[in-house]
Amino acid sequence: MFVPENAADLLQYLDSHQTGVHLIANGTDLINRIQRKQVNPKTLVDLTGLSEFRYVKREGGMIKIGALTTISDLVASPIIDSRYDVFREVAMKFGGPSIINMATIGGNICSASSSEDLLPVLLVLDADVQVRSIHGERTIRVEDFVKGKRMTDLKSNELLVETSFSELESCSACSFEKVGMRNSLIIAFVNCAVFLRLAENKLCDEVRIAFNRVNGKIPQRARQTEKIMKGTMLNEQTLANAVATLRNELKLTSDFRASEEYRLEVACAIFKRAVGRCADRLAGEKVLV
Amino acid sequence: MSKHLLKFSVNGKDYAVVVQSHERLLDVLRDKLGLKGTKEGCSTGDCGICGVLMDGKLVNSCLIFAIQARNKKIVTIEGIGSAEKPHPIQRAFMKWNASQCGYCIPAMILATKELLEKNPDPTTEDIKIATRGIICRCTGYLKIFEAVKTAASEMRGAE
Repeated sequence: MFVPENAADLLQYLDSHQTGVHLIANGTDLINRIQRKQVNPKTLVDLTGLSEFRYVKREGGMIKIGALTTISDLVASPIIDSRYDVFREVAMKFGGPSIINMATIGGNICSASSSEDLLPVLLVLDADVQVRSIHGERTIRVEDFVKGKRMTDLKSNELLVETSFSELESCSACSFEKVGMRNSLIIAFVNCAVFLRLAENKLCDEVRIAFNRVNGKIPQRARQTEKIMKGTMLNEQTLANAVATLRNELKLTSDFRASEEYRLEVACAIFKRAVGRCADRLAGEKVLV
Repeated sequence: MSKHLLKFSVNGKDYAVVVQSHERLLDVLRDKLGLKGTKEGCSTGDCGICGVLMDGKLVNSCLIFAIQARNKKIVTIEGIGSAEKPHPIQRAFMKWNASQCGYCIPAMILATKELLEKNPDPTTEDIKIATRGIICRCTGYLKIFEAVKTAASEMRGAE
Protein backbone atom coordinates (compact mmCIF):
# COMPACT_ATOMS: atom_id res chain seq x y z
CA MET A 1 0.00 0.00 0.00
CA PHE A 2 1.26 3.45 -0.90
CA VAL A 3 0.38 5.99 1.75
CA PRO A 4 0.77 9.55 0.44
CA GLU A 5 0.38 12.42 2.90
CA ASN A 6 -0.25 15.11 0.30
CA ALA A 7 -1.84 15.48 -3.12
CA ALA A 8 1.40 16.33 -4.93
CA ASP A 9 3.04 13.02 -3.87
CA LEU A 10 -0.09 11.13 -4.82
CA LEU A 11 -0.44 12.65 -8.29
CA GLN A 12 3.26 12.09 -8.96
CA TYR A 13 2.90 8.44 -7.93
CA LEU A 14 -0.19 7.91 -10.07
CA ASP A 15 1.56 9.39 -13.08
CA SER A 16 4.49 7.00 -12.79
CA HIS A 17 2.52 3.85 -11.79
CA GLN A 18 -0.34 3.50 -14.20
CA THR A 19 -1.26 -0.18 -13.97
CA GLY A 20 -2.61 -2.36 -11.18
CA VAL A 21 -3.15 0.62 -8.89
CA HIS A 22 -6.43 1.03 -7.02
CA LEU A 23 -7.33 4.11 -5.03
CA ILE A 24 -8.92 3.42 -1.65
CA ALA A 25 -10.69 5.92 0.59
CA ASN A 26 -12.53 4.28 3.47
CA GLY A 27 -13.01 1.00 1.66
CA THR A 28 -16.73 0.35 2.22
CA ASP A 29 -17.04 -0.90 -1.36
CA LEU A 30 -13.51 -1.87 -2.39
CA ILE A 31 -12.66 -4.18 0.53
CA ASN A 32 -15.72 -6.30 -0.23
CA ARG A 33 -14.78 -6.47 -3.89
CA ILE A 34 -11.24 -7.55 -2.99
CA GLN A 35 -12.60 -10.25 -0.65
CA ARG A 36 -14.91 -11.51 -3.41
CA LYS A 37 -11.93 -11.49 -5.81
CA GLN A 38 -13.75 -9.13 -8.16
CA VAL A 39 -10.68 -6.94 -8.17
CA ASN A 40 -7.10 -7.88 -7.53
CA PRO A 41 -5.11 -4.72 -7.01
CA LYS A 42 -1.34 -4.97 -7.21
CA THR A 43 -1.03 -1.79 -5.17
CA LEU A 44 -3.53 0.14 -3.12
CA VAL A 45 -3.13 3.87 -2.70
CA ASP A 46 -4.62 5.15 0.53
CA LEU A 47 -6.40 8.48 0.17
CA THR A 48 -7.48 8.91 3.79
CA GLY A 49 -4.52 11.13 4.69
CA LEU A 50 -5.56 13.79 2.16
CA SER A 51 -7.76 15.90 4.45
CA GLU A 52 -7.49 18.83 2.02
CA PHE A 53 -10.21 17.12 -0.04
CA ARG A 54 -12.62 16.91 2.87
CA TYR A 55 -14.83 20.02 2.75
CA VAL A 56 -18.23 21.43 1.88
CA LYS A 57 -18.26 25.04 0.70
CA ARG A 58 -20.43 27.59 -1.07
CA GLU A 59 -18.65 29.55 -3.78
CA GLY A 60 -19.91 31.64 -6.70
CA GLY A 61 -23.45 30.25 -6.67
CA MET A 62 -22.18 26.67 -6.43
CA ILE A 63 -22.06 24.06 -3.67
CA LYS A 64 -18.67 22.36 -3.77
CA ILE A 65 -18.01 19.06 -2.02
CA GLY A 66 -14.51 17.61 -1.61
CA ALA A 67 -14.17 14.00 -2.74
CA LEU A 68 -13.10 12.71 0.68
CA THR A 69 -16.09 14.24 2.47
CA THR A 70 -18.05 11.44 4.11
CA ILE A 71 -21.84 11.20 3.89
CA SER A 72 -21.96 12.11 7.63
CA ASP A 73 -19.73 15.15 7.08
CA LEU A 74 -22.01 16.28 4.26
CA VAL A 75 -25.27 16.16 6.19
CA ALA A 76 -23.64 17.71 9.28
CA SER A 77 -22.42 20.71 7.27
CA PRO A 78 -24.24 24.00 8.01
CA ILE A 79 -24.14 24.71 4.27
CA ILE A 80 -26.35 21.70 3.63
CA ASP A 81 -29.43 23.40 5.14
CA SER A 82 -33.04 22.24 4.90
CA ARG A 83 -33.19 23.09 1.18
CA TYR A 84 -30.78 20.21 0.70
CA ASP A 85 -32.67 17.68 2.83
CA VAL A 86 -32.40 15.42 -0.20
CA PHE A 87 -28.95 14.50 1.13
CA ARG A 88 -30.46 13.62 4.53
CA GLU A 89 -32.90 11.35 2.70
CA VAL A 90 -29.93 9.69 1.03
CA ALA A 91 -28.01 9.40 4.31
CA MET A 92 -30.93 7.75 6.13
CA LYS A 93 -31.25 5.07 3.48
CA PHE A 94 -27.62 4.79 2.47
CA GLY A 95 -26.43 2.66 5.37
CA GLY A 96 -26.08 2.59 9.13
CA PRO A 97 -24.06 5.23 11.02
CA SER A 98 -20.81 3.29 10.72
CA ILE A 99 -21.20 3.15 6.94
CA ILE A 100 -22.14 6.80 6.45
CA ASN A 101 -19.26 7.78 8.78
CA MET A 102 -16.91 6.06 6.31
CA ALA A 103 -18.34 6.17 2.79
CA THR A 104 -17.09 9.16 0.81
CA ILE A 105 -18.72 11.26 -1.89
CA GLY A 106 -15.84 10.63 -4.30
CA GLY A 107 -15.91 6.90 -3.59
CA ASN A 108 -19.62 6.71 -4.29
CA ILE A 109 -19.18 8.46 -7.64
CA CYS A 110 -16.12 6.46 -8.72
CA SER A 111 -17.64 3.10 -7.73
CA ALA A 112 -20.17 3.81 -10.49
CA SER A 113 -22.64 1.01 -9.92
CA SER A 114 -26.42 0.92 -9.82
CA SER A 115 -26.31 0.66 -6.04
CA GLU A 116 -24.68 4.05 -5.53
CA ASP A 117 -27.44 6.16 -4.01
CA LEU A 118 -25.76 9.51 -4.52
CA LEU A 119 -25.50 9.23 -8.28
CA PRO A 120 -29.20 9.77 -9.11
CA VAL A 121 -29.19 12.85 -6.87
CA LEU A 122 -26.06 14.27 -8.51
CA LEU A 123 -27.58 13.54 -11.93
CA VAL A 124 -30.74 15.53 -11.22
CA LEU A 125 -28.68 18.36 -9.71
CA ASP A 126 -26.74 18.30 -12.99
CA ALA A 127 -23.52 18.11 -10.99
CA ASP A 128 -19.97 18.26 -12.33
CA VAL A 129 -16.89 16.47 -11.11
CA GLN A 130 -13.41 17.90 -11.09
CA VAL A 131 -10.48 15.55 -11.73
CA ARG A 132 -6.82 16.36 -11.32
CA SER A 133 -3.53 14.94 -12.54
CA ILE A 134 0.00 16.37 -12.45
CA HIS A 135 -0.73 17.75 -15.92
CA GLY A 136 -3.75 19.78 -14.87
CA GLU A 137 -7.44 19.72 -14.01
CA ARG A 138 -10.59 19.10 -15.98
CA THR A 139 -14.28 19.38 -15.25
CA ILE A 140 -16.79 16.82 -16.52
CA ARG A 141 -20.53 16.44 -15.97
CA VAL A 142 -21.33 13.48 -13.68
CA GLU A 143 -23.56 12.19 -16.47
CA ASP A 144 -20.58 11.93 -18.84
CA PHE A 145 -18.17 10.79 -16.15
CA VAL A 146 -20.07 7.59 -15.33
CA LYS A 147 -19.77 5.59 -18.53
CA GLY A 148 -21.07 2.18 -17.52
CA LYS A 149 -21.23 -0.25 -14.64
CA ARG A 150 -17.94 0.16 -12.74
CA MET A 151 -16.62 2.32 -15.58
CA THR A 152 -15.78 5.99 -15.34
CA ASP A 153 -13.90 8.51 -17.40
CA LEU A 154 -11.17 8.71 -14.74
CA LYS A 155 -7.74 8.12 -16.27
CA SER A 156 -5.20 6.03 -14.37
CA ASN A 157 -3.12 9.11 -13.52
CA GLU A 158 -6.08 11.16 -12.28
CA LEU A 159 -7.81 11.74 -8.96
CA LEU A 160 -11.41 12.87 -8.54
CA VAL A 161 -11.11 15.88 -6.21
CA GLU A 162 -14.52 17.55 -6.08
CA THR A 163 -18.14 17.48 -7.14
CA SER A 164 -20.13 20.68 -7.52
CA PHE A 165 -23.61 21.83 -8.50
CA SER A 166 -25.59 25.07 -8.71
CA GLU A 167 -27.28 26.17 -5.51
CA LEU A 168 -31.00 25.42 -5.37
CA GLU A 169 -33.10 28.55 -5.94
CA SER A 170 -36.21 29.14 -3.85
CA CYS A 171 -38.41 27.88 -6.73
CA SER A 172 -36.45 24.59 -6.96
CA ALA A 173 -36.59 21.44 -4.87
CA CYS A 174 -35.04 18.01 -4.95
CA SER A 175 -35.97 14.70 -3.32
CA PHE A 176 -34.81 11.08 -3.11
CA GLU A 177 -36.66 7.80 -2.58
CA LYS A 178 -35.35 4.27 -2.23
CA VAL A 179 -36.79 0.84 -1.70
CA GLY A 180 -34.58 -2.02 -0.58
CA MET A 181 -34.57 -4.82 1.96
CA ARG A 182 -33.52 -2.70 4.93
CA ASN A 183 -32.89 1.01 5.23
CA SER A 184 -29.46 0.45 6.67
CA LEU A 185 -28.26 -1.91 3.95
CA ILE A 186 -26.80 -0.40 0.90
CA ILE A 187 -28.36 -2.12 -2.07
CA ALA A 188 -31.62 -0.71 -3.45
CA PHE A 189 -34.15 -2.55 -5.62
CA VAL A 190 -35.01 0.81 -7.08
CA ASN A 191 -34.12 4.35 -6.18
CA CYS A 192 -35.21 7.62 -7.68
CA ALA A 193 -34.24 11.29 -7.47
CA VAL A 194 -36.32 14.19 -8.74
CA PHE A 195 -35.42 17.85 -9.27
CA LEU A 196 -38.32 20.22 -9.85
CA ARG A 197 -38.34 23.94 -10.66
CA LEU A 198 -41.70 25.67 -10.83
CA ALA A 199 -42.31 28.91 -12.73
CA GLU A 200 -44.42 31.64 -11.11
CA ASN A 201 -47.57 30.32 -12.79
CA LYS A 202 -46.91 26.88 -11.20
CA LEU A 203 -45.92 25.35 -14.52
CA CYS A 204 -43.12 22.79 -14.38
CA ASP A 205 -40.27 24.89 -15.66
CA GLU A 206 -37.61 22.24 -15.35
CA VAL A 207 -37.93 18.59 -14.31
CA ARG A 208 -35.06 16.17 -13.95
CA ILE A 209 -35.66 12.54 -13.02
CA ALA A 210 -33.08 9.83 -12.42
CA PHE A 211 -33.29 6.18 -11.41
CA ASN A 212 -30.52 3.83 -10.38
CA ARG A 213 -31.41 1.76 -13.42
CA VAL A 214 -33.10 3.20 -16.47
CA ASN A 215 -31.67 1.12 -19.24
CA GLY A 216 -28.98 -1.18 -17.96
CA LYS A 217 -27.14 -1.11 -14.70
CA ILE A 218 -26.10 2.47 -14.10
CA PRO A 219 -28.04 5.45 -12.83
CA GLN A 220 -29.46 7.52 -15.67
CA ARG A 221 -31.98 10.27 -16.39
CA ALA A 222 -35.48 9.41 -17.59
CA ARG A 223 -35.54 12.06 -20.29
CA GLN A 224 -38.76 11.12 -22.09
CA THR A 225 -40.70 11.44 -18.85
CA GLU A 226 -38.99 14.75 -18.12
CA LYS A 227 -40.07 16.03 -21.54
CA ILE A 228 -43.71 15.03 -20.95
CA MET A 229 -43.80 16.97 -17.67
CA LYS A 230 -41.99 20.10 -18.79
CA GLY A 231 -44.26 23.09 -19.34
CA THR A 232 -47.32 21.41 -17.84
CA MET A 233 -49.23 22.31 -14.70
CA LEU A 234 -48.24 20.06 -11.80
CA ASN A 235 -51.41 18.11 -11.02
CA GLU A 236 -52.77 14.55 -10.88
CA GLN A 237 -53.24 14.41 -14.66
CA THR A 238 -49.65 15.44 -15.36
CA LEU A 239 -48.43 12.88 -12.90
CA ALA A 240 -50.57 10.14 -14.49
CA ASN A 241 -49.21 11.01 -17.95
CA ALA A 242 -45.69 11.04 -16.58
CA VAL A 243 -46.12 7.60 -15.00
CA ALA A 244 -47.50 6.22 -18.29
CA THR A 245 -44.40 7.47 -20.11
CA LEU A 246 -42.13 6.20 -17.39
CA ARG A 247 -43.57 2.68 -17.75
CA ASN A 248 -42.36 2.60 -21.35
CA GLU A 249 -39.13 4.38 -20.72
CA LEU A 250 -37.73 2.27 -17.90
CA LYS A 251 -35.98 -0.86 -19.13
CA LEU A 252 -35.55 -2.65 -15.82
CA THR A 253 -34.05 -6.09 -15.37
CA SER A 254 -34.74 -8.98 -13.02
CA ASP A 255 -32.08 -10.31 -10.70
CA PHE A 256 -31.88 -12.16 -7.39
CA ARG A 257 -32.96 -9.02 -5.50
CA ALA A 258 -36.20 -8.29 -7.34
CA SER A 259 -38.10 -9.07 -10.54
CA GLU A 260 -38.49 -6.66 -13.40
CA GLU A 261 -42.27 -6.40 -12.84
CA TYR A 262 -41.92 -5.63 -9.16
CA ARG A 263 -39.20 -3.07 -9.83
CA LEU A 264 -41.42 -1.26 -12.34
CA GLU A 265 -44.36 -0.99 -9.92
CA VAL A 266 -42.07 0.23 -7.15
CA ALA A 267 -40.34 2.68 -9.51
CA CYS A 268 -43.67 4.30 -10.47
CA ALA A 269 -44.78 4.52 -6.84
CA ILE A 270 -41.58 6.09 -5.54
CA PHE A 271 -41.45 8.46 -8.52
CA LYS A 272 -44.88 9.85 -7.57
CA ARG A 273 -43.81 10.11 -3.96
CA ALA A 274 -40.60 11.93 -4.90
CA VAL A 275 -42.45 14.45 -7.09
CA GLY A 276 -44.98 14.95 -4.28
CA ARG A 277 -42.20 15.63 -1.81
CA CYS A 278 -40.65 18.23 -4.14
CA ALA A 279 -44.04 19.92 -4.45
CA ASP A 280 -44.45 19.93 -0.65
CA ARG A 281 -41.04 21.49 -0.26
CA LEU A 282 -41.88 24.22 -2.73
CA ALA A 283 -45.18 24.88 -0.96
CA GLY A 284 -43.14 25.50 2.18
CA GLU A 285 -44.69 22.76 4.29
CA LYS A 286 -42.64 21.08 6.96
CA VAL A 287 -41.48 17.81 5.48
CA LEU A 288 -40.51 14.93 7.73
CA VAL A 289 -37.53 13.00 6.53
CA MET B 1 3.11 -7.32 0.73
CA SER B 2 4.61 -4.21 2.23
CA LYS B 3 4.98 -3.57 5.93
CA HIS B 4 4.22 -0.33 7.71
CA LEU B 5 4.79 1.08 11.16
CA LEU B 6 1.35 1.97 12.42
CA LYS B 7 1.29 4.64 15.12
CA PHE B 8 -2.09 5.26 16.68
CA SER B 9 -3.89 5.64 19.98
CA VAL B 10 -6.18 2.95 21.33
CA ASN B 11 -8.25 3.65 24.44
CA GLY B 12 -6.00 6.57 25.32
CA LYS B 13 -2.74 4.61 25.00
CA ASP B 14 -0.23 5.21 22.20
CA TYR B 15 0.86 2.20 20.16
CA ALA B 16 3.44 1.61 17.43
CA VAL B 17 2.81 -1.72 15.70
CA VAL B 18 4.26 -3.25 12.55
CA VAL B 19 1.38 -4.16 10.25
CA GLN B 20 1.08 -5.60 6.77
CA SER B 21 -0.70 -3.65 4.06
CA HIS B 22 -3.62 -6.06 3.92
CA GLU B 23 -4.23 -6.38 7.67
CA ARG B 24 -7.56 -5.05 8.84
CA LEU B 25 -7.96 -2.81 11.86
CA LEU B 26 -10.20 -5.51 13.37
CA ASP B 27 -7.42 -8.10 13.22
CA VAL B 28 -4.77 -5.78 14.62
CA LEU B 29 -7.02 -4.83 17.55
CA ARG B 30 -7.91 -8.43 18.33
CA ASP B 31 -4.75 -10.35 17.48
CA LYS B 32 -1.89 -7.88 17.91
CA LEU B 33 -3.23 -5.79 20.79
CA GLY B 34 -5.26 -8.61 22.36
CA LEU B 35 -8.42 -6.51 22.58
CA LYS B 36 -10.95 -9.27 22.01
CA GLY B 37 -13.97 -7.14 22.92
CA THR B 38 -14.36 -6.09 19.31
CA LYS B 39 -16.18 -8.92 17.52
CA GLU B 40 -16.20 -10.07 13.94
CA GLY B 41 -19.60 -10.61 12.34
CA CYS B 42 -20.22 -10.63 8.61
CA SER B 43 -16.85 -9.08 7.56
CA THR B 44 -18.62 -7.21 4.76
CA GLY B 45 -19.90 -4.09 6.48
CA ASP B 46 -23.51 -5.26 6.74
CA CYS B 47 -23.94 -6.26 10.38
CA GLY B 48 -22.09 -3.49 12.24
CA ILE B 49 -20.85 -5.85 14.98
CA CYS B 50 -17.16 -4.89 14.57
CA GLY B 51 -17.87 -1.21 15.28
CA VAL B 52 -15.23 0.89 17.04
CA LEU B 53 -15.00 4.64 17.51
CA MET B 54 -12.42 6.32 15.30
CA ASP B 55 -11.90 9.98 16.23
CA GLY B 56 -15.26 9.75 18.01
CA LYS B 57 -17.21 8.29 15.11
CA LEU B 58 -18.51 4.75 14.81
CA VAL B 59 -16.83 2.85 11.97
CA ASN B 60 -16.68 -0.79 10.90
CA SER B 61 -13.23 -2.11 11.78
CA CYS B 62 -13.62 -4.93 9.22
CA LEU B 63 -13.63 -2.39 6.38
CA ILE B 64 -10.55 -0.42 7.40
CA PHE B 65 -7.01 -1.47 6.65
CA ALA B 66 -5.04 -1.05 9.86
CA ILE B 67 -2.59 1.42 8.29
CA GLN B 68 -5.53 3.71 7.49
CA ALA B 69 -5.97 4.21 11.24
CA ARG B 70 -2.56 5.92 11.51
CA ASN B 71 -2.59 8.98 13.78
CA LYS B 72 -6.22 8.24 14.72
CA LYS B 73 -7.76 7.86 18.16
CA ILE B 74 -9.54 4.51 18.44
CA VAL B 75 -11.89 3.59 21.28
CA THR B 76 -12.98 -0.02 21.70
CA ILE B 77 -15.34 -1.47 24.29
CA GLU B 78 -12.32 -2.01 26.60
CA GLY B 79 -11.86 1.78 26.65
CA ILE B 80 -15.41 2.43 27.83
CA GLY B 81 -15.38 0.74 31.23
CA SER B 82 -14.24 -2.36 33.10
CA ALA B 83 -15.89 -5.09 35.14
CA GLU B 84 -14.85 -3.24 38.29
CA LYS B 85 -15.81 0.18 37.01
CA PRO B 86 -18.49 -0.07 34.34
CA HIS B 87 -19.56 2.97 32.36
CA PRO B 88 -23.12 4.25 33.00
CA ILE B 89 -24.10 2.89 29.57
CA GLN B 90 -22.81 -0.56 30.55
CA ARG B 91 -24.62 -0.36 33.92
CA ALA B 92 -27.85 0.50 32.13
CA PHE B 93 -27.45 -2.43 29.74
CA MET B 94 -26.94 -4.74 32.76
CA LYS B 95 -29.92 -3.24 34.60
CA TRP B 96 -32.23 -3.96 31.65
CA ASN B 97 -30.69 -7.36 30.83
CA ALA B 98 -30.22 -5.85 27.41
CA SER B 99 -27.54 -8.35 26.48
CA GLN B 100 -28.63 -11.82 25.43
CA CYS B 101 -25.84 -13.59 23.54
CA GLY B 102 -23.81 -10.39 23.89
CA TYR B 103 -22.15 -10.49 20.50
CA CYS B 104 -23.54 -7.17 19.24
CA ILE B 105 -23.32 -5.39 22.59
CA PRO B 106 -19.83 -3.84 22.28
CA ALA B 107 -20.91 -2.14 19.04
CA MET B 108 -24.31 -1.20 20.53
CA ILE B 109 -22.59 0.44 23.49
CA LEU B 110 -20.14 2.35 21.28
CA ALA B 111 -23.01 3.49 19.02
CA THR B 112 -24.82 4.65 22.17
CA LYS B 113 -21.72 6.55 23.27
CA GLU B 114 -21.53 8.38 19.94
CA LEU B 115 -25.26 9.13 20.10
CA LEU B 116 -25.29 10.46 23.66
CA GLU B 117 -22.34 12.73 23.03
CA LYS B 118 -24.32 14.47 20.27
CA ASN B 119 -27.77 14.10 21.78
CA PRO B 120 -28.00 13.64 25.58
CA ASP B 121 -31.79 13.19 25.53
CA PRO B 122 -32.66 10.96 22.57
CA THR B 123 -36.16 9.78 21.64
CA THR B 124 -36.78 6.11 20.80
CA GLU B 125 -36.68 7.11 17.14
CA ASP B 126 -33.26 8.78 17.61
CA ILE B 127 -31.99 5.60 19.28
CA LYS B 128 -33.33 3.44 16.45
CA ILE B 129 -31.58 5.65 13.90
CA ALA B 130 -28.29 5.61 15.81
CA THR B 131 -28.26 1.82 16.21
CA ARG B 132 -29.82 0.92 12.86
CA GLY B 133 -26.56 -0.33 11.39
CA ILE B 134 -26.06 -2.99 14.07
CA ILE B 135 -27.89 -6.28 13.84
CA CYS B 136 -28.91 -8.07 17.04
CA ARG B 137 -29.98 -11.56 15.99
CA CYS B 138 -31.34 -12.30 19.45
CA THR B 139 -33.71 -9.45 18.45
CA GLY B 140 -33.43 -7.93 21.88
CA TYR B 141 -33.84 -4.41 20.56
CA LEU B 142 -36.56 -3.23 22.96
CA LYS B 143 -34.45 -3.73 26.07
CA ILE B 144 -31.50 -2.13 24.30
CA PHE B 145 -33.61 0.97 23.57
CA GLU B 146 -34.73 1.11 27.22
CA ALA B 147 -31.13 0.74 28.37
CA VAL B 148 -30.02 3.62 26.15
CA LYS B 149 -32.76 5.83 27.63
CA THR B 150 -31.77 4.90 31.18
CA ALA B 151 -28.10 5.56 30.39
CA ALA B 152 -29.00 8.94 28.91
CA SER B 153 -30.98 10.01 31.95
CA GLU B 154 -28.25 8.82 34.36
CA MET B 155 -25.58 10.62 32.38
CA ARG B 156 -27.63 13.81 32.28
CA GLY B 157 -28.03 13.54 36.05
CA ALA B 158 -24.33 13.02 36.54
CA GLU B 159 -23.38 16.22 34.75
